[in-house]
Amino acid sequence: MELSFAAIADIILQALADLDDERPADDKIAGTVDTQLFGPEAVLDSLGLVSVIADVEMAVSDLVGHAVSLMDDVALSQENSPFESVRSLADYVMTLVGQPA
Amino acid sequence: MGRYDGRTAIVTGSRRGVGRIITDHLLAGGATVIGFARGESANGHPAYHHVQVDITDSPALTDAFVGIRREFTTVDILVNNAATLTSQYSMIMSTDVAREMVETNLLAPFVMSRECARLMKRSKWGRIINIGSMATSLEPAGDSVYAACKTGLTTLGNVMAREFASFNVTCNTLAITAIETDMLNQLPKDRIDAIIATLPVPRYATAEDITNVIDFFASESSSYITAQTVFLGGVN
Repeated sequence: MELSFAAIADIILQALADLDDERPADDKIAGTVDTQLFGPEAVLDSLGLVSVIADVEMAVSDLVGHAVSLMDDVALSQENSPFESVRSLADYVMTLVGQPA
Repeated sequence: MGRYDGRTAIVTGSRRGVGRIITDHLLAGGATVIGFARGESANGHPAYHHVQVDITDSPALTDAFVGIRREFTTVDILVNNAATLTSQYSMIMSTDVAREMVETNLLAPFVMSRECARLMKRSKWGRIINIGSMATSLEPAGDSVYAACKTGLTTLGNVMAREFASFNVTCNTLAITAIETDMLNQLPKDRIDAIIATLPVPRYATAEDITNVIDFFASESSSYITAQTVFLGGVN
């Protein structure tokens, strides 16, 4: 199955929207592809990032029909973390599922 | 109306022994049960669904959840029951035998709990019940790796209890004593009898002893009960 960047970004943004459902009105993330997920400018705490990664892994696995792991050695060893932003994470998922980023 | 009407449960090692007892109990209470086991299904109940998988095969296990998420909207209850026991003195236990116990008794419950927790997070409700053992407390000779795995399983559940509490998922351990099962029959009966004789309640466990605690942990009313271990028979 071919996955587009937009489709993967939508999955990540949906995971952020699900988090927003539990956050107070004055602390919504309102994610975009440029939203920072990890690092000094991150909008998420560590548990929030865990929640997003788990949701994205599950949704992408369901789309491609087999288990996909985002937290593998390749992800953890990259100089620029693929979890920095919605855009970088979507790019990374594209490479994982064999689509050109 | 059954206690488990509308609930979906996963039981590992569902074909035989304690897993079969728990599976049949949940089915009788109205649950839909997804059983994980290495062998073919031996349960004809209409609400029973079988996943034939080797739970030490982590990729196969996670792939199985892709199918479960396709077929079921959520999983409410997970019972990590499947286990393997080789009782042997450490000095003569092979690494392969030890590794099989670690993979079955500790790593597989980790993968099962992780995958189920993701589904439970969506529905904001879940009960993870690990089947522990009196071996964690009694530490009998021959059970070094088995007891270590079961102690690890309890700790795994206690840490997950902390991680999953925010989405109303509890993790508890039922540490059983001895019940007549295929696993127990592998061991010398006189040795088991000698251990049982030292317990405050010196008898073998019954199916009701086990399902009673399962019901308690799985209950709607037990949302404030997490990271707990209940030992049967007065073991502590």
